[in-house]
Amino acid sequence: MISNFLTTAVRSLLRQKYYALINLIGLSVGIAAFLLIVLYVQHETGFDKHLRKRDNLFRVVEIQNEPGVGEQHVAITMGPLAGALKADFPQVVNAVRFMPGFDIQVVSLGNKNFRERGLYYTDPSVIGMFNIEFLQGNPATALSTPMSVVLSEKTVEKYFGSTPNVLGKSMMLGKRSFVITGIMKDQPMQTHLFFDILVSISSVENQADFEWMKGWGSNSLITYIELDQSESRQIIEEKFPEFLRKNVFSKEEGWEFLEMYLQPLDEVYLESQHIKFQNVSAAGDINLVIVFIVIAVLILLVACVNFINISIARSVKRAREVGIRKVLGADRLSLVYQFISESLLLTLLAIFIAVGLVELALPEMNKLLATDFHIDFRGNWIFNAGLFLILIIISLAAGSYPAFYLSRFQPVKVLKGGSSIKGSSAGYLSKGLVVFQFMISVGLMFSVLVINDQVDYMKNKDLGIIYRDAIFVFFGDDDDAGKSEPLRNELLKDSRIRTVSGCSFLNGVSGSQGPVFVDDSARTKLTMRFGYVDYNFFEAMGVKFVAGRNFDRKIASDKGGSVIINQAAARKLGWDNPLGMKFKTVMGADTTVKPEVIGVINDYHYFSMRSLIEPAIYVWNPEMFRGLLIGYYAESDKQSVRKYIEDKWIDHFPDTPFQPVVADDFAAESYKNDQKLFSLFVYFTTISVLLSVLGLFGLTSLLIEQKTRIIGIRRVLGGPVWKITSQLIHDYMLLVLIAGAIALPLTYYFLEQQLRQFAYRIDINAFHMISAVVILTLIAFFTIIFKAYRAAGANPVKALKYE
Amino acid sequence: MIRTVNLTKIFRTDEVETTALNKVSFEIKKGEFVAIMGPSGCGKSTLLNILGLLDNPSEGEYYFLGNEVSRFSEKQRANSRKQNIGFVFQNFNLIDELNVYENVELPLIYLGMSSAERKKKVESALEQMQITHRRKHFPLQLSGGQQQRVAVARAVVANPHLILADEPTGNLDSAHGEEVMNLLASLNQGGTTIIMVTHSQRDAEYAQRIIRLFDGQIINENIKSGRSEIPVI
Repeated sequence: MISNFLTTAVRSLLRQKYYALINLIGLSVGIAAFLLIVLYVQHETGFDKHLRKRDNLFRVVEIQNEPGVGEQHVAITMGPLAGALKADFPQVVNAVRFMPGFDIQVVSLGNKNFRERGLYYTDPSVIGMFNIEFLQGNPATALSTPMSVVLSEKTVEKYFGSTPNVLGKSMMLGKRSFVITGIMKDQPMQTHLFFDILVSISSVENQADFEWMKGWGSNSLITYIELDQSESRQIIEEKFPEFLRKNVFSKEEGWEFLEMYLQPLDEVYLESQHIKFQNVSAAGDINLVIVFIVIAVLILLVACVNFINISIARSVKRAREVGIRKVLGADRLSLVYQFISESLLLTLLAIFIAVGLVELALPEMNKLLATDFHIDFRGNWIFNAGLFLILIIISLAAGSYPAFYLSRFQPVKVLKGGSSIKGSSAGYLSKGLVVFQFMISVGLMFSVLVINDQVDYMKNKDLGIIYRDAIFVFFGDDDDAGKSEPLRNELLKDSRIRTVSGCSFLNGVSGSQGPVFVDDSARTKLTMRFGYVDYNFFEAMGVKFVAGRNFDRKIASDKGGSVIINQAAARKLGWDNPLGMKFKTVMGADTTVKPEVIGVINDYHYFSMRSLIEPAIYVWNPEMFRGLLIGYYAESDKQSVRKYIEDKWIDHFPDTPFQPVVADDFAAESYKNDQKLFSLFVYFTTISVLLSVLGLFGLTSLLIEQKTRIIGIRRVLGGPVWKITSQLIHDYMLLVLIAGAIALPLTYYFLEQQLRQFAYRIDINAFHMISAVVILTLIAFFTIIFKAYRAAGANPVKALKYE
Repeated sequence: MIRTVNLTKIFRTDEVETTALNKVSFEIKKGEFVAIMGPSGCGKSTLLNILGLLDNPSEGEYYFLGNEVSRFSEKQRANSRKQNIGFVFQNFNLIDELNVYENVELPLIYLGMSSAERKKKVESALEQMQITHRRKHFPLQLSGGQQQRVAVARAVVANPHLILADEPTGNLDSAHGEEVMNLLASLNQGGTTIIMVTHSQRDAEYAQRIIRLFDGQIINENIKSGRSEIPVI
């Protein structure tokens, strides 16, 4: 019986190639898009899975509520926290601290110098907690003593090549020499905290520069703890207020508001959008993952709807076959089997094609997302199980309605005169499904228009700072700033160089944020972002002043004794005229004087547009500069001028790697992620809309085919054909409008939620909504016109013979 | 073999109620060849559908092979149908996607017969209808006469007790029509009961008895041998 079903299925598909093709293309493209999204979602949800103890691992997060920045969640904590947690709570089995190697600008061995991003100071407990596997060295002692460093395999190769036995050898981290005490396996990239160089934290703990690490006032370290069982989290969190009273508030002044909670390690990668100062190497967004899952499901639904709709419409043609089979003794069940096995066959074929399409699309997607997705049938059983599930679900979903609908036909009726789907329950279902499909398309189209505007807005908004025609190069160590004058002078000799300026970073601010006290009796305090810049930085970067003046080389006291604040700071402090106001002390400023405000700059975006511009304070202190900003004239050949800068740099700082940050790239970086995901979103939305159009095209073709006879009669009688067409158009326009009426409010709500993440955003307007509906209407309109035109042009005699 | 008592069929749509059959009673014995005649719309096909267990009557009784089947469920009807009845239609009603062999084989598949047994029976039916050489052809590649021969082969392949033919020659020219009628006649001689709806007096001549319908009622039941003529109004 099965072979008979399959024979019929294959031949019936071949006979109606056109519709089989529409179905097949629709399904395979739908499944392919779904699979691509599944790969993305799998990747995003697959972070940190290599950490075996992850169920019991937690990151400590602080909630601070300081004047100036308001409530903020931060993932950096105090130096003594890890130890205190372990001492105070028996449930805490282990604790580890991580601190990025801020002070280590360059790692060097012989003439090999690199800036290392995956370098962290950490406690020995990291090895057990993060199940780090050692290839050489003793895990128990490798990080116990000061000046020890553990390298990953790749790092060993980078510095030592194929040299065997590097254990016990030393290398320079910054200005100090460290001994290699272990070699660990490379960490997977799919982790929120990637490291390839681990340095014993005891190497810095007792140094004068790191005195703050012993106190409770400064937050700089990430703290992870391992609990005896995950349920202990609640017990500990309940006791945190008491813990903070005892350990923090009693010992440290200045904290007005501080809370703590434990974030499960499994949530760190995807669910940390609200947390600042994370010092992580990768961060995802659960929101986006959900958005993409929704899109994937919608695309699959659209493809299924196409399948069902075309099958229902085709059923008119299949009705006779069903009638004959029934007369010959087929019962309903065997007919249901038959149709489901047909859709199973088609779906299976579609899945094969889809996998091929995915293979074709993956290189592009990997390029776009900078990922390494691939289909792995052997290693990825979830993917295989998913494919099987897709097969079953789509076959049943897409095959069952036609199966049950067709098998219900009365053989007597269908053998007599066929059946039309108009007016029957299938007709309503068909229309309902079309509305549903349009809803998805209108909704997605609406989203694309809005998100496109938001991305454009971010791209084109005046940032208040010009990230263009400049590069920033990090110094090798703190002394470099003092030695940079000759380089600066030499660079300026070249006519292409317009400016050279020392600064914390390209955006003018450092990674530090802290309380600043106003010189008043009320002890007014404001948490501000610290920036260290040269006298000419604001000019070089096109930052405008709204009041006062810039640092002046002729005024000696400006260096360290004067400060410039941004408008946000003035606003928060309630200063209408900030000029001349004084602070008690400012980190990095001259401690012997009370720094005075000499100027107020326009609020410029030093971070992405997702976050608000926070209060910032700028000090002219060359000792705090982390590198040089070198600007060149726009007309100059960028390649050659950068090469020139590099050559000069190497002349002056041969031991400091030249790894410039290009201003143009930096600006792009801030919305690159949004743009990347937006592109992905547009691709998938386009697919969904195309699938809807394809479905509409197929359905219209079938409906018009059924009306061929009417069109033929009208033509024979000399009547107008447009009436039939206009009826169809009228029907579909109504469906699009209904779809719009349902989809727009739902999508509006969803988009508002998404836009709320952006501190600087556009407003959704009627134009977005109307455009979405109009675009869809036009697409439907032209599809119908095209089909109707062809039908009307056909020979009426042929049309009349058709039935 | 067949006995109906006051068989009535009423079709209802939203506005109209049509009585297609009105208290029709008759009997057909095993081995008979009966023709049902009458003008268009007189209820011939409706009667044939009920006799063929494709439809249930609205009222009345229908005894088929000794069972009262007028209230059978769809499943029961399908079961009884596939075991006992073969159909021949005016427009052949072959499945276009299946070739000659597969079309003839279909009833046997639904009977759950083994493939070897099916092969034997299909071959023999094809032979009987002299269409073996066309076994791999698809319906659309055959002439009308050939298609109808395939349809007859399909109707007899399961050795049914009863063959129902609905205007079997309606779409054929006279030569092919005669061919098909001869086939039916020879089947009848072999012992198969045949009930045939027809417009054609010539075709009706093949039958032993003619039942004439008009407006859903039997107006004349004629045994051609002339022994009796029973008006049944």
